[in-house]
Amino acid sequence: MATTQPAAGQSNIPPHVPPELVFKLGITESAEFLADPHKYMAGLHATHPPIVYSYSDHNPSAWQLLKYEDAYFVLRHPEIFTAEGSGPFPRDPDDYWKIIPLEIEPPEHRKYRALVDPLVSPKAVLALEVGIRKLANELIDKFIGKGSCEFAKEFGRPLPVGVFLDIMALPRDMMDEFVRWAMGLLHAQDRAVAGQVMGEVTAYLNKVIAEKRAEPDDGLVSAIVNGRPGGEEMSARETFGFLFFVWIAGLDTVFATLNHIFVWLAQNPDRRQEIIDTPDNINNIVEELLRVFTVTFSGRTLRQDFELRGVKMKKGDKITSILPSCNFDPEIFPNPTEVNFHRPRKPVLTFAGGAHSCLGAHLARMEVKICLQEFLRRIPNFKIKPGAKIEYWPGGVVGPKDVPLVW
Amino acid sequence: MALVTYVQHNGERHEVDVPVGDSVMQGAINNMIDGIVAECGGGLACATCHCYVDEAWAAKVGAPSTTEDEMLEAAASERKPTSRLSCQINVTDELSGLVVYLPETQF
Repeated sequence: MATTQPAAGQSNIPPHVPPELVFKLGITESAEFLADPHKYMAGLHATHPPIVYSYSDHNPSAWQLLKYEDAYFVLRHPEIFTAEGSGPFPRDPDDYWKIIPLEIEPPEHRKYRALVDPLVSPKAVLALEVGIRKLANELIDKFIGKGSCEFAKEFGRPLPVGVFLDIMALPRDMMDEFVRWAMGLLHAQDRAVAGQVMGEVTAYLNKVIAEKRAEPDDGLVSAIVNGRPGGEEMSARETFGFLFFVWIAGLDTVFATLNHIFVWLAQNPDRRQEIIDTPDNINNIVEELLRVFTVTFSGRTLRQDFELRGVKMKKGDKITSILPSCNFDPEIFPNPTEVNFHRPRKPVLTFAGGAHSCLGAHLARMEVKICLQEFLRRIPNFKIKPGAKIEYWPGGVVGPKDVPLVW
Repeated sequence: MALVTYVQHNGERHEVDVPVGDSVMQGAINNMIDGIVAECGGGLACATCHCYVDEAWAAKVGAPSTTEDEMLEAAASERKPTSRLSCQINVTDELSGLVVYLPETQF
């Protein structure tokens, strides 16, 4: 396989890395990965050792974890594996800001999370259900009559962005701009484009910070910019880093997840019917779909030398949990690629884990649930537009580019 | 308010007034009681708010749901007959006086 050749002679591989663990995994840019990302990431368990050291043309070389238990260990031991410096966004070294709360470690971390947790708790999210359902139906109204839609653009994108704007208490008419910025930062694969977009985002967020300071409301932006973690004022850089992170995190992940799910639904009419026929099982259905369509990775840096599963790592090494692979770990989820809505429930790694476990996890679950329920209620039968081929974005959030549906 | 006593694995006891309607998990988190992690924030998704309900209270607290029962299998510490995920126990006036024991580790 072209993507797994040993990298003997690669100049950037540190000497402590055993040559037999060095691979070019190709996540997320090789042709083999992009042909079917989840199939590829599930397949790694059969073709690779559980911990590999992977180099790439675009990203820093890093240890890659495929096993569920290893990822959980790393995510739950911030004193050994820090998330500091793990954000992949362009930042000026002379005006550096931390991505908050991700790049703050316990115990300080809790002070920051406490500002926003109440707005995205299971209870808070429940209060959003009616509004999300309404938005889903408004979007469906626009295309149901024409017998087709470009799902990603007409539903997968506007639904989570609209919900997010509402939670942030920002105007809905920012939707197109937000979408363009998210694409530029996450999928352009071009530093010049990312830098340009970063400038626009910075200007916008700074304007919003000033506005919400002047006129506080009960939205998420206000909670952040007027929040006092541990009773102390945040610096301007901290406020920006916090707002930026929550902003970017809300834009792309549910989008990608919904797109994966609807490609799968379009290709599996019997499973679509199963979902329609078992409304009481919806929570298990959502959890299983989140397991098999996990879209992100979680990066850390070693604070000390450490040996994991017999592999000796050094202080300063980068380490990435391949969360989609971890959720296909056959030791934890037998017959892992089978989509089985009656599996015994186990914690999934879709939302990472540990202190930095995804802030928006319950919101994401709610959005996926409502989208399944409302879309299938109104458009129970659909398929991929004949002749269309599903292609995937390279980058830190794995998802299809276009999802053309017909019914 | 209802009085909930959290007993740490080392025997340390914390008596806390928890607002009725909050979960036993929230009562611990809001009072900085170590021993409950609750990394998912109360969504029945992580099994890190495991507790052992005092036997005298077990009947009043009740049994776990099917999903909670499955998630308890993923808890790090030994599962016992009165094991519950504390995010799923809502505090009521009837539960005032409740005693829960916290496990050695949540993960």
